[in-house]
Amino acid sequence: MATTEAELKSLMIGSLDGDATAHSALLRSLVPLLHAFYRRRVPNGEDVEDMVQETLIAVHARRATYDRERPFTAWLYAVARHRMIDHFRRLRQTLPIEDVESILVIEGFEEAANARVDIDRMLDTLSPKQARAIRDTHLSGHSVAEAAAGAGIGESDVKISVHRGLKALAARIKIT
Amino acid sequence: MKMTTEHLIETLSRDVPRVSRYALVKRVALGVAAGGLVAMILVSLALGVRPDLKIAMHGFPFWMKWTYTTSLGIGAIYAITRLGRPTPFSLRNLWLLAIPALILTGIGVGELARTPSGDWLALWLGRSWTLCPWLVLALAAPIFAGLLWSFRRLAPTNFRAAGAVSGLGAGAWAATIYCLHCPEESAIFVLTWYSLGILLAAGAGALLGPRLLRW
Repeated sequence: MATTEAELKSLMIGSLDGDATAHSALLRSLVPLLHAFYRRRVPNGEDVEDMVQETLIAVHARRATYDRERPFTAWLYAVARHRMIDHFRRLRQTLPIEDVESILVIEGFEEAANARVDIDRMLDTLSPKQARAIRDTHLSGHSVAEAAAGAGIGESDVKISVHRGLKALAARIKIT
Repeated sequence: MKMTTEHLIETLSRDVPRVSRYALVKRVALGVAAGGLVAMILVSLALGVRPDLKIAMHGFPFWMKWTYTTSLGIGAIYAITRLGRPTPFSLRNLWLLAIPALILTGIGVGELARTPSGDWLALWLGRSWTLCPWLVLALAAPIFAGLLWSFRRLAPTNFRAAGAVSGLGAGAWAATIYCLHCPEESAIFVLTWYSLGILLAAGAGALLGPRLLRW
């Protein structure tokens, strides 16, 4: 059963690539997450099962709206949040509902909230060589030697690229 | 009897077509194209393509009109693909859609400067100002219908805004097709009456969005 952002996202990408096994594994993994999500927020528990099923159908039918470059759970909880709003609308109830960012934090996916997108956006401002060196050594966990072999450059070149890239990022963060 | 969740998952997993990275924009473009085809048939049957189209296509006014309406149309398609996703999208980005109108305003000012002020009214009203906005609005209807089909696979959460940009896109592409008929040539005519038709379509979309785009 997939439970982390990374696992769920890789199942979702499998599903988008047409892998039916990944798709059913994804939907099965979502059931407990969605149960927890709705039980915490819907006052009378009877409708929870229906809402979980409606959400699974929406995830299935509208999966083209997921952007592979962004966190999966942010998309999932945006869909779930909307299903809940729609549910209360049909019942003519008004309840306060948190925004997607807060939902991600409450449901234990805070790392997905913005981190990855921001890092990618920051790295895009660097030269491709520096961005790649930082990605390899600091995000993907490769050694300097592996990064150097992968990029076809010298090890000292990797080290200098990482150093200069991080320095440029630090300067940029100070400005903004 | 109600389906169990497990049974539902099995049923859904029987049909898992591949979804390409560009599936969303393709679906929106297909909706616009299908509606646009209907609008084009309507123009050629009910209004008639302007007889001098081939000559007009060598001139500046025709391309000025098309650049204006297609740039709005492309911008609206982009906005639809963003507002068609469930994740929040800042509406502040939509101000970019004003850029084509600002450029056209610049051209219009130059046009007025070159025209004696006695002819300004004729330049502004052309021969078809009473009809133009309404025809653009009418031609937007089939394109808006095409977009409603696109939205069946989208997941908007801001229905008012999604409806408005859909109406805007439908209006902009309707105006693009209307150019095949309309012989008007002045920038301030297009800026006023084309834009009015497009804005009427956007307003209709904003009104209809919350009713038609729910899922």
